[in-house]
Amino acid sequence: MSRLGKLLAGWTFRTATPSFEPGDVITAFVTHSDGEGVSSRIGDSVLRIEGDTEVDVETKVRLKVTSFDDQNHVGTAEIVEFLGEF
Amino acid sequence: MPEEPDIELSFRGGRLVSALPIAFFIAWAIFQSGILGIGDTTGLVAGMLTGLIVGLLFVRGDWKDYADVVFAGMTRRVAATAVVAWLWAGMFAETIQVGGFVDGLVWAATALNVGPGLFPAVTFLLAALLATGIGTGYGTAIAFTSLVFPAGLLLGANPVLLFGAILSGAVFGDNLAPVSDTTIVSAVTQDADIGGVVASRVKYAVVAAALAIAAYLAAGFGIPGVVSGMPHANVTGQVDATVSAWGLVHLLDIAIVIVLAVRGRHIIEAISWGLIAAAVFNVALGAADLIDVSAASMLLFRAPQNGLTQAVDALPLIGAVVETVPGGQAGVGGSIYSGAAGFFPLIVLTLLLVAGAEIMRAGGGFDAIQELLIDRVATTVRRAETTMVLGTALVNATVTINTAAEIAIAPYIATLGKRFNINGYRRANILDANTSALGYIFPWGGGLLAGFGAMQGLVGGNGTPWFTQEMLVNPASVWPYVFHGWFLVAVFLVAAWTGYGREYVSDRTSEEVSRV
Repeated sequence: MSRLGKLLAGWTFRTATPSFEPGDVITAFVTHSDGEGVSSRIGDSVLRIEGDTEVDVETKVRLKVTSFDDQNHVGTAEIVEFLGEF
Repeated sequence: MPEEPDIELSFRGGRLVSALPIAFFIAWAIFQSGILGIGDTTGLVAGMLTGLIVGLLFVRGDWKDYADVVFAGMTRRVAATAVVAWLWAGMFAETIQVGGFVDGLVWAATALNVGPGLFPAVTFLLAALLATGIGTGYGTAIAFTSLVFPAGLLLGANPVLLFGAILSGAVFGDNLAPVSDTTIVSAVTQDADIGGVVASRVKYAVVAAALAIAAYLAAGFGIPGVVSGMPHANVTGQVDATVSAWGLVHLLDIAIVIVLAVRGRHIIEAISWGLIAAAVFNVALGAADLIDVSAASMLLFRAPQNGLTQAVDALPLIGAVVETVPGGQAGVGGSIYSGAAGFFPLIVLTLLLVAGAEIMRAGGGFDAIQELLIDRVATTVRRAETTMVLGTALVNATVTINTAAEIAIAPYIATLGKRFNINGYRRANILDANTSALGYIFPWGGGLLAGFGAMQGLVGGNGTPWFTQEMLVNPASVWPYVFHGWFLVAVFLVAAWTGYGREYVSDRTSEEVSRV
């Protein structure tokens, strides 16, 4: 990203509940792990991770969104790439 | 040398008791400087020493471990960085001061018709500029309190407001400067590149600075400056046509420091070059009889009178920095000596405070706070960001040296922020802004103490013979006037609630740290 681009990024009021479309590929941390599996919380929206769930909390991953409910700000996603722990 | 493993301590009464040495010190600082109005840094050293001894009584098991943690804290690099910055900035500021810089500023302010009402706002802007250039808010607080503060008093500006404006400028630079140690810590601990971090924080800094300028203008014209009855009244207006503009030559050596710092030279190197230039200018201006300054203003050996010392005094070159005095008055003096010596009590205090923070880490006090925050308080992204702002502010309001406080709180900010996928830039910005702001507001804050130390150096100083003990600003009285600091915290509280500037990891991932 250019210096100007960096300077101008983020001058907005970003929602607490971001929306996603099925098919979106995003970078995110895995944030929660419980008896039912793992999930990634982005703001107050939650993507439950399906498929390969052998992953620790705070691992950075690439996620492909498979479904998203705009009303309740919840959806599902699957891991397409592991980016490691940071 | 390989790093020794971290020692863990156990305290009677639980993990939070590990905060006792620092809590004891804060209570002492409030009692001493807030209630009794005694701004004696060595008194605070006594408070921290007592706090460390009181903490020892609550340790379970071997007291040797506690002693080892004290040593581990005192030898942390962050403490050495602050010590170096103070010693060098102190020598530099004092050397410029004996070279007539204050007179030059008074001359310029008079020539440009900057009156007492406008002076605090202009001071804020200039201090912000210097601090952004040299990257050290403490150095800026020292330089401006030594140099610009007395000039403002002579023009009749309100002393407390003026000190607040200087500290505000220091906050601005500490927050925004790419070479600031707090900026570097914020970027490194949140896995973000420094350039990106600085670029992304402009949107918060300019909003707070615009509000601060408006506030200094309103207060500058609204609050009476120096009124009769105040100790400063006797000197206000004593600006006559005879003040020399030649001291402004020292703007050149300040520029040298800024340029070298911006180019990434070490602070020791940058200020040393500035100091050498200032010394050369002083000797030249003194020799040309333009300013009353000489080599002896910067370094002077006052030797007891005897045959040998009189012979040395008569030597060429060396004799210029030696004078013979009656035995009881022997000593070393000059700006190099007094500029550094003014910070000795503060340096000792810093080392002890960093030790206190290390005890809190080793005793689990910091961990206990983190668990409470994650489980009970930060349940939504707004509440998480609000907690990050207030948590950083609270730790910085209590730990004197803000870089040390920032290092202590940084892992919490990372953990809490990642739980909501808040990206590295936003986390670094929340961390650094509130670190910078709170380190300069309270009477035990390192930035404020640094400025106050410089102010004590003005009493009877070579460049300010008119400055008396009664003219010192009470450190406990300045907190409402550090406008930029308060506005910066307010901007982040509003930003946490409204989402202004918020970015998620999925929006933009911060780049690799390019400089550690």
